Amino acid sequence: MTREAGRSATAPSPTARSATARSVTLRSVTLRSVTVPSPTVRPLIARAAAVLLALLPAAACGTGGPASILDRETLVVGVKPDQPGLGVKVAEGRYEGFDVDVATEVARRIGVPDVRFVTALSSTRQRLIQKGAVDLVVATYSITPENRSKVTFAGPYYVAHQDTLVRADDRAVENVRDLKGRRLCQAAGSNSWRRVAEERRIPVELVPASSYGDCLAKLRAGAVDAVSTDDLILAGFAARDGSALTIVNAPFTDERLGIGMRKGDLDGCEAVNRAITAMYQDGTAARLLRKWFGGSGLALTFTVPQFEGCA
Amino acid sequence: MTGPYPDRAGDPETATAGPSVPSGSGVPAAPGRGGRALLPRSVPGRIRLITAVSVLALAVLFGTLFAAARSVRDGLDVIGHDAGPQVVASADLYFALSDMDAQVANVLLIGGEPRLGKGRARALEVYERRRGDAGRAVLQASALAGGDPAERRTVQAVLDGLGRYERLAARALLLAEQAGHPAGPPPGPVLEVYRRATDLMRLELLPMAYNLTLESGTVVRRAHQERTLAVRAGQILTGAAGAAALGCLLWLQVVLARRFRRVLNPALLAATAIAGAYALTGVTVLGQEAEVLRAAKRDGFDSVLTLARARAVGSSMHGDQSRWLLDPGRADTYEQTYLDKAQSVLYTPGGNLVAYQRAVKAAVDRNRTAFLGLVGQEAARARLPGSGSAVADVLARYRDFQQADRTMRELEPGRAVEQRMGRLESAFEEYDAALLGLAELHRRTFDREIRIGEERVGRLWFLLPIAMAGTAAMILAGVRPRLSEYR
Repeated sequence: MTREAGRSATAPSPTARSATARSVTLRSVTLRSVTVPSPTVRPLIARAAAVLLALLPAAACGTGGPASILDRETLVVGVKPDQPGLGVKVAEGRYEGFDVDVATEVARRIGVPDVRFVTALSSTRQRLIQKGAVDLVVATYSITPENRSKVTFAGPYYVAHQDTLVRADDRAVENVRDLKGRRLCQAAGSNSWRRVAEERRIPVELVPASSYGDCLAKLRAGAVDAVSTDDLILAGFAARDGSALTIVNAPFTDERLGIGMRKGDLDGCEAVNRAITAMYQDGTAARLLRKWFGGSGLALTFTVPQFEGCA
Repeated sequence: MTGPYPDRAGDPETATAGPSVPSGSGVPAAPGRGGRALLPRSVPGRIRLITAVSVLALAVLFGTLFAAARSVRDGLDVIGHDAGPQVVASADLYFALSDMDAQVANVLLIGGEPRLGKGRARALEVYERRRGDAGRAVLQASALAGGDPAERRTVQAVLDGLGRYERLAARALLLAEQAGHPAGPPPGPVLEVYRRATDLMRLELLPMAYNLTLESGTVVRRAHQERTLAVRAGQILTGAAGAAALGCLLWLQVVLARRFRRVLNPALLAATAIAGAYALTGVTVLGQEAEVLRAAKRDGFDSVLTLARARAVGSSMHGDQSRWLLDPGRADTYEQTYLDKAQSVLYTPGGNLVAYQRAVKAAVDRNRTAFLGLVGQEAARARLPGSGSAVADVLARYRDFQQADRTMRELEPGRAVEQRMGRLESAFEEYDAALLGLAELHRRTFDREIRIGEERVGRLWFLLPIAMAGTAAMILAGVRPRLSEYR
């Protein structure tokens, strides 16, 4: 209801309005040539077109005002396009992974089952939320005090940990300290290696790689000895690679993966938190975790994470 | 002057055509406003109708005031007496659970060295006390959950988990006693059981306890939002109804003055004055009460709850310090969770604990007060009288606590356990006491705000029937003698 009011209140730009008029005239002309136009058809189409066209600039400029995700008819959800197990783009507009399934479940439980997925990269997701181009972001988005000051987070829906992936035949590595003197993969654009080499000051030999996919290839080929990053990312790769690689299961950080939405949407955030609680209570979360990461040998947590609180 | 035209009651035209208006029918018909056509043509009929409309407007005025005053009272009740304090108390569940686990870690860490700090006996005594606290807090959480099925399931899960935790903890304590190890990390089998216990506590029970507090906090937020909206709407309606009632009463005054050639009807004037004064008071008081509700929520409930959460997280950080000493194999994990919690309490950038503690010291030494995080946001928005110094105290104690932590982590293992049970323990207690002091300051302001709000709405409530009876009597006294002239 609020949504409808918001739509009609946001006037379309002049170009949009003339476009509306044009499309309506065209449409009614063709209609007339085919059948007798019923008196209700024209206003209906006009209204639908007006609503659609009014919606586009509104969504693009983020002038939606204080509307909540609960008032949406379709939820636009940002997910990762390139993270095995979490979010992978499989076709135009089609994504799959744990994050995608979580978003679908949450949307159903907050009463907005119609979901459209779009790509949200680490570098763009905050801006996408702020300008209103997406309603939710479920894309391994860590809840940090800095992120929280710009975006409202529901969840975490899972607490991931930084962990280490080694070749299955390498039994000498039991925790991150054992990486001393070994070759650690340094994926471009990721800071995970810093947590080992700088924060824990473990003397490792860094081997640069273009991406985590490249790291995995190097690990299999024996060019590096270990890859260290979020355990769900490692599990996604490990599940794909079968038993050749193994996760050490010695987590040494907490990454609270949250569901980001427009700053201040407390009603929406609280509803999403209730949805996450319900997902854990009825076993859906456990099922999804097993579905995507069960084959990886990662020790998963099947109980509800500690929420951050909506703010 | 009594009954000037008793026999011409049914004829308004002649009634208006009194000595002062000799020209007859032209004058009353002259104002050709549409509204006139709807009015009854007889004078008593008109007077009755206007009176009825006035009474109706007054009824709406008093009705909206009544409803709005009730929203105020409900709102104050929810936040001040009912759910508000219960939600804050539910944070005690987290505190009790987290301290239970910390005390078990302390007992294991002290081992056979009973003279360390407060010693084994003291830690065991605190453990027992926290068990009792946790049991009571679960009961309270259950009451607070009410009929909500998801919350009830969570409470049930906490209760089940608590039973499992106590069994695991008892086994770890028994094994440690049998082993009789010196202060420091216990033998492997003890550690194995304790790991299972602490994982259950930290990964399952504490998150659920924390979420319960957050969830019941949302109930207060929504109830508060609804009541505040109702009060604001009531204020506008009261203003509108008051204006309408005053308009009607003045209209009645004018009609009576014209018909009966009197300048003033004193009784009706009194009714107008009472209604006007009451409407004005009502609008003002509702405005003040909306402000009270807002302040009580923001400076009272929100702050007290945030500080209670900060205390709970603090106790869990203190536990991480013991666990860091207790379990060298997991020391990295415990140091990291300690840092994560520290940053959620008071955020300054710093990728590792050393950098964080250095940044906290530098910032607090420079008297900086703008931070993110639970304590940080409270420090940044301190606005109560006296809260400036209380915040400064909390920040200074927190810095000292972090410095004592640094010292512990840099000492060799034997001395580190001494530091944990000695200087670090007292630094933590001082920090915790400072947090409590700040929370107490907010709670007192909050209680005072609520009391003032209740007294004010109480007076409005008390005066409502008096004002209603007063206006009704005065209208009756003003109109009835005029109508009786027509009998």
